[in-house]
Amino acid sequence: MRAVIIVLLFLVMLSCTPENKEDQTSGKVFPFKIHQKSFPNDLNVVTVPYESPGIVSFYIVVRVGSREEVEEGKTGFAHFFEHMMFRGTDNYTREEYDAILKSIGASANANTWLDRTVYHMTGNAEMLDKMFEIESDRFFNLNYSLHGFKTEAGAVKGEYTKNYASPFMQLSEKTAATAFTEHTYEHTTMGLWEDVVDMPNQYEYSLQFFERFYRPEYSTILVVGDVTPEKVNSLAEKYFGNWERGNYVPEIPVEPEQMETRYAHVQNPNFPPFISLNFKSPAFNPERKDNAALEIISQILFSEKSDLHKKLVIDENIARNINSRYLYTRDPYLFSVGVSLKKAEDLTYVKEEILAAINNLKENGIDPQVLEDTKSHMKYAFATSLNSSSSIAQSLSYMIWVTGDPGALNSYYDQVDRLTIQDLQEIAKKYLVPEKLTISTISPAEEGGVS
Amino acid sequence: MNNLKFYISIFVLSIISIQVIGQELAELKKETSNIIVLKYMFNVGSMMDPVGKEGLTQLTASLIIDGGTEKYTKSEIDDLLYPMAGELGLTVDKEVTVFTFEVHVDFTENFYNIIKGLVFNPALSEKDFNRIKSNQLNYVDQIIKASSDEEYSKMALEDLLFRGTRYQHMVSGTSSGVNNITLDDVRNHFATYFTKDNLLIGIAGKYADSFKNKIVVDAAKLPSLTTELPEPPIIDMPDGISVEIVEKTNALGSAIYTGYPLNVTRSNDDFAALMVANSWLGEHRKSYGQLYQKIRDTRSMNYGDYSYIEWYRNGGRYQLPPPHVPRHSNYFSLWIRPVQIADQLQQQYPELNGINVGHAHFAIRLALREINRLLKNGLSQEDFELTRQFLRSYIKLYIQTPSQELGYLMDSRFYNRENYIEELDQLLATLTLEDVNSAIRKYLQIENMYVAIITDDSEADPLAQSLEKNNASPMSYSNLVREGLSLDVTNEDEEIANFTLNVKSVEIVDSKETFK
Repeated sequence: MRAVIIVLLFLVMLSCTPENKEDQTSGKVFPFKIHQKSFPNDLNVVTVPYESPGIVSFYIVVRVGSREEVEEGKTGFAHFFEHMMFRGTDNYTREEYDAILKSIGASANANTWLDRTVYHMTGNAEMLDKMFEIESDRFFNLNYSLHGFKTEAGAVKGEYTKNYASPFMQLSEKTAATAFTEHTYEHTTMGLWEDVVDMPNQYEYSLQFFERFYRPEYSTILVVGDVTPEKVNSLAEKYFGNWERGNYVPEIPVEPEQMETRYAHVQNPNFPPFISLNFKSPAFNPERKDNAALEIISQILFSEKSDLHKKLVIDENIARNINSRYLYTRDPYLFSVGVSLKKAEDLTYVKEEILAAINNLKENGIDPQVLEDTKSHMKYAFATSLNSSSSIAQSLSYMIWVTGDPGALNSYYDQVDRLTIQDLQEIAKKYLVPEKLTISTISPAEEGGVS
Repeated sequence: MNNLKFYISIFVLSIISIQVIGQELAELKKETSNIIVLKYMFNVGSMMDPVGKEGLTQLTASLIIDGGTEKYTKSEIDDLLYPMAGELGLTVDKEVTVFTFEVHVDFTENFYNIIKGLVFNPALSEKDFNRIKSNQLNYVDQIIKASSDEEYSKMALEDLLFRGTRYQHMVSGTSSGVNNITLDDVRNHFATYFTKDNLLIGIAGKYADSFKNKIVVDAAKLPSLTTELPEPPIIDMPDGISVEIVEKTNALGSAIYTGYPLNVTRSNDDFAALMVANSWLGEHRKSYGQLYQKIRDTRSMNYGDYSYIEWYRNGGRYQLPPPHVPRHSNYFSLWIRPVQIADQLQQQYPELNGINVGHAHFAIRLALREINRLLKNGLSQEDFELTRQFLRSYIKLYIQTPSQELGYLMDSRFYNRENYIEELDQLLATLTLEDVNSAIRKYLQIENMYVAIITDDSEADPLAQSLEKNNASPMSYSNLVREGLSLDVTNEDEEIANFTLNVKSVEIVDSKETFK
């Protein structure tokens, strides 16, 4: 048995050793060549040359987000830590780092979400060497003071404060907490208010957090624009070649099967009534049809083209808008459709209409032309969105954080191409069912009243 | 031979049409692009809304882009555009309205044949009108007041700063204004202002000249302008600092936006010098601005703090300034993102039990004192060089996509420039430190200003009193932060807490009373 494992390990290692990988572009939805190089420390480096004279987008995708916040009292920490990455290093104070960043003349920032933290800058391609230098410096030599740590916690509280003004943020907190009972997706990336207030006391934990996650095996460097892969790979070697691999792997709790419909509600008399239906949906896997099918379903049933939109928004005019949201995530998350209404009395009716649209698909399928139009819509929407180095980098970074491989984009669109009406029906029957559903509402009443 | 005739006739037609119409066209051909972008920029904005019909331009433009045409209903258009993934965009501001249409080059002709109906022959139907009006009214009555207090504070400041002028009301209008609008008002507004000689057309991406000529010829079918365009307002400097506090229930913080009229726009070469000073003081969403460093970085008071020398649309969303909001009446402003209120601080930290005002007064004092310091000290040579270097690279990021580049090109015309970004780069290249310091002395001041604050009803009264009486406003840190502060910071805090503001009036307004 042990011999088998060793042979398997050897094969896995072999499969990693071809260092340079180039995805072919002909006939693919993503039209640019993706150059990948995997370093011995497991750092992945991706380059996409693109015609953006003098401009380059430099991204580092770290696969740590609120999903990895498995410990009690640490919600929001991945996001908070992203803030700390701007607080100085052994070599540069915060002020010096700012001055260097300013000299690069880039649009630079970072953001954190369920499955990842992304550090990005777009700017002068001639400054790429400097971009590599300051990024590697903070990934290797991060050093902030205890006071700096406590002070930055106030900025996170300020971010929570500004976001909290929106009833949608309040509802998304409640929806996550209702739909999930074990998995870390039960809290938002912003974290729980009490944990945010307690952040200044977590200095020691922050050092541990950095040790665990800011490692090459969690990271991908992505450069898009006026560059060559040779240059990027040589800079990556120079600045990140010595990055030491870590060994931490978090145990993400598995969410138990949901058995019945759940409800979340926010009372607000000064906001348009709102209802959303959130079905547990599968983790992203470009080799399976499930995600592509759900995205197509989301378009067909709930976009402006949909019969439901024509009925509720245009003809009956009881709804202000319909929005569907289907996200690619590393673990099972939510397929959501939300409707903003004129009157709270219509909440139940709208819920029934959404369910009826889903049931109609399950039972009767759809017009084949609608499926073809939707495939066309998705592919052209994607193709036209690739209009700058930063938009291309964003698209690729999404695939990197959910799968680790930017080439998954083309695999995903291959799935879209192959989908049939029967596939859509099968996937709808599998996921869009009452026992996987959480219904969230905003209305003037104390309770949602749609059960 | 026939082909030759055809091309000659097209050529002659295009020359004639451009000459006859005298229509303006901004062009940005990109042979390697896979998209085509069309923009129609009309010189009509919320400034042209009639009295009592505030919100009419927005409603008219929304009905154009989100309604049907003479040939197709709204739903038919949705169906037709769907396989192409064609994008329709709308920006309405005080003085201009811009429609943006973008599609893959595979669909140029089909797409254009549909969207031209929207601009030239919109249905303006009763059914679409009722739907869109209801949503616009809901935005004014509820959404703006209950979604983002910082966006609300920006609208509240414009309402205060431009009070009594046609710039005062939000682009979306007022509650009574939108309520009063009839479908006939919309039809009249469309006929009056959406005319061929009130229009700048923009085209970008990959296209044939014959297509470009066609869109020019089609636009010439619009009627002519028969009314005179109103003059943008000239805003007087306020006498002292005038504060309006909007109180609402359940606000977690105080969102602050301040400003005063500024007699310079992109048209003036001084703008480049002022841009350097402003960038140093508070570049949008950048950690290297002085305001950000002192308020957020050093004192942990909020999420960010920035300054502006022109209107910045939807700053909470965009890192880089989007085009299509050119204005003649300009103002300088400070954005202080929500700071903590007393009630929240007391709940979080027992040591702050005794306070009765949160951080808003201190934050305003700090920001104005920073401007004052800039006025007194000017910029150093080192800061000037670094900031200029930053800007010369950064402004090129404003125009990364064909749509953005075309947008900036069209806005250039509004300011009587050929290509603002290129010209700005040249102006920045030849600037001197003295130019910047002279612009600082000429345009920055802290004596006269409007301040809008959105806050919790528990905070409004104590904050109003503190501001009105110019009470000292010592910074109330939690012990966690206080214990690590340097002497430099605490000494500076002492000065800030007692920094005199020229406050002349403070009013509290109930949120329900705003934008009525």
